[in-house]
Amino acid sequence: MKRENRLGSYGLRALVAGVLITISQPLIYLFIRASDKSAQEILALLTRQKTLDVLALTLLLLVIVVLVNVFLGTAIAAGLHYVKMPYPRILLVSTILPLAIPSYVFTYTWMAIFPALEGVWAAAFILSLSTMPYMILAVTISFQRIDSGLIEVARSLGLSKPAVFTRVILPQVRRSISAGALLSGLYVLSDFGAVSLLNVETLTVSIQNLFKSSYDRGAASVIGILLFFAAAIFVLFESILKGRDFESRGAEGFQERIRRISNPGLSVFTILVISLYGFLAVVVPFYVLISRYLQNPGVVALSDLFTAALSTVSVAGLGAFIAFILSLPLALLVTQGPSTFAAISGKVILISHALPGVVVGLALVSFGSRLGPLYQSTFLLAFAYAVLFLAKSVASTSAALTLVSPQLKEVAATLGKSKSSIAMQVVFPIALPNLALGILLVFLTAMKELPATLMLRPTGMDTLATEIWSFAAISRFNEAAPYALLLVIIAAIPTFILTIPRAAKSDIEKKVSYL
Amino acid sequence: MALAALILGGVSWVVSGSGSSDEQVKELTIYSGRSEEFIAPFFADWEQESGIKLNIRYGDSAELAAQILEEGKNSPADLFLSQDAGSLGAVSAAGLFTTLPAGVGAQIEDIYIAGNRTWIGVTGRARVFAYRPSAVSVLPQSVSDLTKPVYKGRVGIAPSNASFQAFVTALINEKGAQFAENWLKAMKDNGAQIYLKNSAIVEAIDKGEIDLGLVNHYYTWEVSQALGRDIDVENGFFAPGDIGNLVNVSGIGIMATSEKQEVAQDLINYLTSEVAQAKFVEDTHEYSLIPGAKAPASLPELKSIGSPKVDLASLEKVQATQDLLTKVGLL
Repeated sequence: MKRENRLGSYGLRALVAGVLITISQPLIYLFIRASDKSAQEILALLTRQKTLDVLALTLLLLVIVVLVNVFLGTAIAAGLHYVKMPYPRILLVSTILPLAIPSYVFTYTWMAIFPALEGVWAAAFILSLSTMPYMILAVTISFQRIDSGLIEVARSLGLSKPAVFTRVILPQVRRSISAGALLSGLYVLSDFGAVSLLNVETLTVSIQNLFKSSYDRGAASVIGILLFFAAAIFVLFESILKGRDFESRGAEGFQERIRRISNPGLSVFTILVISLYGFLAVVVPFYVLISRYLQNPGVVALSDLFTAALSTVSVAGLGAFIAFILSLPLALLVTQGPSTFAAISGKVILISHALPGVVVGLALVSFGSRLGPLYQSTFLLAFAYAVLFLAKSVASTSAALTLVSPQLKEVAATLGKSKSSIAMQVVFPIALPNLALGILLVFLTAMKELPATLMLRPTGMDTLATEIWSFAAISRFNEAAPYALLLVIIAAIPTFILTIPRAAKSDIEKKVSYL
Repeated sequence: MALAALILGGVSWVVSGSGSSDEQVKELTIYSGRSEEFIAPFFADWEQESGIKLNIRYGDSAELAAQILEEGKNSPADLFLSQDAGSLGAVSAAGLFTTLPAGVGAQIEDIYIAGNRTWIGVTGRARVFAYRPSAVSVLPQSVSDLTKPVYKGRVGIAPSNASFQAFVTALINEKGAQFAENWLKAMKDNGAQIYLKNSAIVEAIDKGEIDLGLVNHYYTWEVSQALGRDIDVENGFFAPGDIGNLVNVSGIGIMATSEKQEVAQDLINYLTSEVAQAKFVEDTHEYSLIPGAKAPASLPELKSIGSPKVDLASLEKVQATQDLLTKVGLL
């Protein structure tokens, strides 16, 4: 029995290692390209004033956006979950929808209203708008899984409501806040659309400039490696801040109906804050797009719209599926208990997430163009999405699996269940919402991905994002509008489904009690 | 790297067909840095004429050039059509373009063809100052005039845009780095307004935010099309010979690795034919590069603009230009 487990564990580790090598291709590419440069050139490039300025600016932007997310994002999620309000699900979905809006569309539309918008604060504003859903989603889903018994106990011991929130609830969602902070921070590092339009030279903009304006792939790659190390420091810093695992996790399946706080003042305030966010992040971009369209309604070819939507959904869906498959070995390994190997693997995947689309795109162009018919196939593009966004899958999956109480697993084990059947019967049903969340996040982000899509899509294939780009490039926002609208509508459907309160919870309880 | 390729190769069960090399060419693959909206009708005409299907990959010119450099000899492209000479120069410098025989694009004026015949100009794009006629009584005669007090705070530029950078590169090559630096500084001190794109400058002039701006000539037409109405903006040219009248080109080259050279040459010959060139003038408001051809509506002929003699291939290296713009604080 023990030997069998150990063998299984080695198999899993081998699989995880395979995944790591697969997704490390962009990094391998960067090192190969950077090796064109001599050590002296590399040193000179890294230590010049400009590089240091760019690095400092990038980190400043990262810190601002992460802080806004941690405070405002968590507060919005808490409001959505604990405060009594009408139509909470619609409000929740409206805070998630900005995920489907590409950051360059955000920026274009905001600049249409405020042409003078530029600089690091403007970029922090736009990037906070576009990353907030990561935090809200991650935290909301953990709120839903907190043991309400603990809250009852705390209340009966005389803790005030705010004290319950800070001393009982927050510690239990700390991991999710942390996961949300990671995703939004890594997004900031990899973003090109918003920062380039707002004239903020971050590391990603430098990389793109070096690739595009001087065709200096060696120098671009050196900065790419610097970006990788910046991301590594961020990820390590985050794991130090997060501290050790919080031991008393919610016992799954024992959450009762949510008791929402009914306080009219608080409700109004919460709704105002959430509406303000929805206004800035959804209404404004759409107001600009729709009014541009109405000013000069172009002829929208419905067949183009349909074909682009179909391509987008199928290739992003395939990408999300591949990312899910690639995240499974690590997820399974994590369920077998904490290990250094699993921890390091998770971090490598997260750090790789900071690499911008243009780097991943060019890396896969470099490797992929040797593969004959596979190059510029739907599969390779979907694979690129999986490489780009695997971290979203892994972050949600790890958060999901660590929510499962260890006692529950121990109970199952003492009942003679093997590790794999514990995983299948206990862990996965409980982790399902977060697993689905991981798939959804990859799907939504892949739908709006642009740089890698332009390079790797099959020749002649249009996605909604490439159509938006192609019209925006010639200032035809009126014709881009229908594609952007459709992108958000498509994104709304799975988001809405994911936020359906889970009736299936009682099934899980039954399963657990029968074990 | 071999390992990485192996892992990717391991999943090669998804195969998308194509790639057979018949004697009879049925398809041709082109990477197009020009917008689908404007260039697709030309491609469609040629497909009809030749009976050959075009696989067209649209993208940003510079990004497509970077992609081609990465693909190297494995590139599936037969041709690369670019918005600007810079991207063509980069591909040419990497030795990835073939040398075109003398008969190809024979009608195009020599100065719009790469010295080593690796690419051929397709359309001309003149730098102009766009302006609102009601607001500007004294027209500038030279880019140097724009630094004078009379234009203080009234001029828009787009320093991050490739077309402006190509102009500054020409300025450096022509008059030296010191002159260019002084001019950029003087522009900045004179309150030049910064925009992201040429089209944003034209829109700002129309709205009255600024009165003049340095752009490519066809943006007044393009913006008016996008807005679906007439705009209060016209194109002006500096005195003949001024560097501000630089004419850049969109152009095309054939990949050295293409096994369909003759058919690819036929496409170039079509795009540079009198019929297609006249259609460019009419439909996209660009200049034809055939000597003596008609100019786009309400614009002077190419010859009378008095564009400065600039080696377009030399506009490829913009790193020094970007460093200068950064130094001056415009980037």
